[in-house]
Amino acid sequence: MVEIVYWIAAIFATMFGMASLSLSLPNHWRQVTGIETSLPSRSEQLSLRILGYSSLVVALLLCLAADHPTMAVLVWVMLLSLAAKGIATILTWRQHWLKPLVWLFNRTELN
Amino acid sequence: MFSSFRQAMAWLHTWFGLTLGFILMVVFFFGTLSVFDREIDRWSIPETRFEPQVMPSFDEMLLPILRSVEPSEEDYNTNMPLLHDLSQGPMTPRTELPADEFWAYTTHRDPVLIMGVGFRVPQPLDPEGHNHIHGNITIDPRTGKALPDDQLKIGSKFFYPMHFSLNWNWNRIGIYIVGIAAFIMMAALVSGVIIHRKRFREFFTFRPNKQTQRSVLDLHNLTGMVALPFHFFFTFTGLLIFASFFFFPVTHTQLEPLHKYHEMVEANETGLPHDRAGVPAEMASIDAMVAKAKQRWAEKDMPGEVGFLQINHLDDANSYVSIYRAGSDRVALVGEGMHFSGTTGELIREEPPRSAIAETEEFLTGLHLQHFEHWLLRWLYVFGGLVGAICIATGFIFFVEKRKRQHTLQGSSGSQVVDALAVTTVTGMLVATVSMLVANRLLSAEMVGKGYWEQVVFWGSWSVMLLHAFWRSSAVRHMRISPAWREQSILFALLAFAAVILNWITTGDHLLKTAFHYWPVAGVDLSLLVSSAIAIYAARFLKRRENVAVHKAIEFSAQKLEASRG
Repeated sequence: MVEIVYWIAAIFATMFGMASLSLSLPNHWRQVTGIETSLPSRSEQLSLRILGYSSLVVALLLCLAADHPTMAVLVWVMLLSLAAKGIATILTWRQHWLKPLVWLFNRTELN
Repeated sequence: MFSSFRQAMAWLHTWFGLTLGFILMVVFFFGTLSVFDREIDRWSIPETRFEPQVMPSFDEMLLPILRSVEPSEEDYNTNMPLLHDLSQGPMTPRTELPADEFWAYTTHRDPVLIMGVGFRVPQPLDPEGHNHIHGNITIDPRTGKALPDDQLKIGSKFFYPMHFSLNWNWNRIGIYIVGIAAFIMMAALVSGVIIHRKRFREFFTFRPNKQTQRSVLDLHNLTGMVALPFHFFFTFTGLLIFASFFFFPVTHTQLEPLHKYHEMVEANETGLPHDRAGVPAEMASIDAMVAKAKQRWAEKDMPGEVGFLQINHLDDANSYVSIYRAGSDRVALVGEGMHFSGTTGELIREEPPRSAIAETEEFLTGLHLQHFEHWLLRWLYVFGGLVGAICIATGFIFFVEKRKRQHTLQGSSGSQVVDALAVTTVTGMLVATVSMLVANRLLSAEMVGKGYWEQVVFWGSWSVMLLHAFWRSSAVRHMRISPAWREQSILFALLAFAAVILNWITTGDHLLKTAFHYWPVAGVDLSLLVSSAIAIYAARFLKRRENVAVHKAIEFSAQKLEASRG
């Protein structure tokens, strides 16, 4: 049963990773801030990417903790797809859910 | 012909995607259902709704049953005249054929045990060939009772073969068609990424409120890209599984003599006799061999149960028994085979460690065939398969949306035909699938040829959906949405709901009883209910869209009229 905890954690980690990566793209950044002219600065973009990719790595480690490595890799790859689709869905209908993440990087943008 | 590489790729993507996309839709959808083929079997054959069992005692239970199996009449009538050498005398009567090979197979998801006998043709035309007439049986491993042979395992024997052969077995043409479609899928993936490479900058974009053509393309690109690794790997490994079949079908044609020679060399190397000795002999205890095999697996740090067991050259001095491990705990499909002498029970051969290439190949085919035990990964595969289906379906809709205006002005019926075929392969296929499940619950289990009639219902309802889709498609010619999409969605929703209710009425199994107690049946029921709800939502949504499209169509006609006047 303990693997279920790892899987749930891995799902959250991939979602968080994909959310950060999506915000590093100007189009999606604008979608969340709701300001046509806003852009993530270079440093913000870089930190969002580092945070994004490292969460994906954390998710891989969580998958490895839950399963045999060959199985864990498959679960991880499929979770990446699931998370990407999930973030796309959030960006379409619930953009404001990602606001806290923008706020984490840029407090002025949302004031 | 094309001014740029990208244009050439777009042409390839559009036209090959369109022609073979309909096949791919079938492959993706039934592939998705095949993830839970055994569960669908349980749903469709209520007598088999019990927990999976380990393989029972071979000596006490299975052997006497296997000894009583008779060769299949159908197999005898088709193949005996081809295998038997008439110059040596008349054909041995069906029930007098001697048994040569016994096998038994089970998985962690199969409560039933599938077993079979290969009967020897005593006077064969080609003594070197595999001269076997087969007889199979499925039993309840708790009691040894045979389950009626007539009932079709809808999941593993109809939906699953549909995935890789379209159930079209004439000269294996279905497998070839699926192979070509898979090959085109690879090309479509690569060309798709080339056409839409700019999309990586807006990777997560879906704009449902833009005009249909735009939002459909968004969804097409999104579903294609987010599950790109899944699409690529499943297409690739699917081709790999059939590689020797698709690319080098020469082992049984041009290279047949070499193939036979290789078998002899292999038999010499492994010490597993290639031929019968012709000397009758008593068989040793199979259960003792099973115990020894399990002990060896445990020593190699991979304790496990038996998945597949085969006795070769039965009742002969050269007989040997091959025992393979059930591979439920790893991706690679490996059996760690142990081979024993059938007469002495001695271990003759233990399969050596595999090369890196063999390991890779086994991992790749194993990830596709998924014999492992991992419910989360199974559901993730369902997600991948459905996302693939959305990608293909939105491809069709985009094709229609992009061209219907132009086709209408030119008086061409191109979009109309594509739209009708899309309806048939999307909602029509769903209707056919649930119709089969409804038929399964309505037809009596004792009915002769029940499985045949279930298939008639499947193909029949699909054909009706095709006719319906074409009948209603004239709307597309008038720049509207074909009402067939909505009507078939409603029909699907009703049938899916009916299937769940019929399951309750005919077997007494309803969700309150099965949920948390028997997931195979509860899972099928829940999936049917969820699909039904989604179909209702889709139908309501389509109704709204149809109304909007009617207004637009009127505007369009008015413009056309004005243009023709002025």
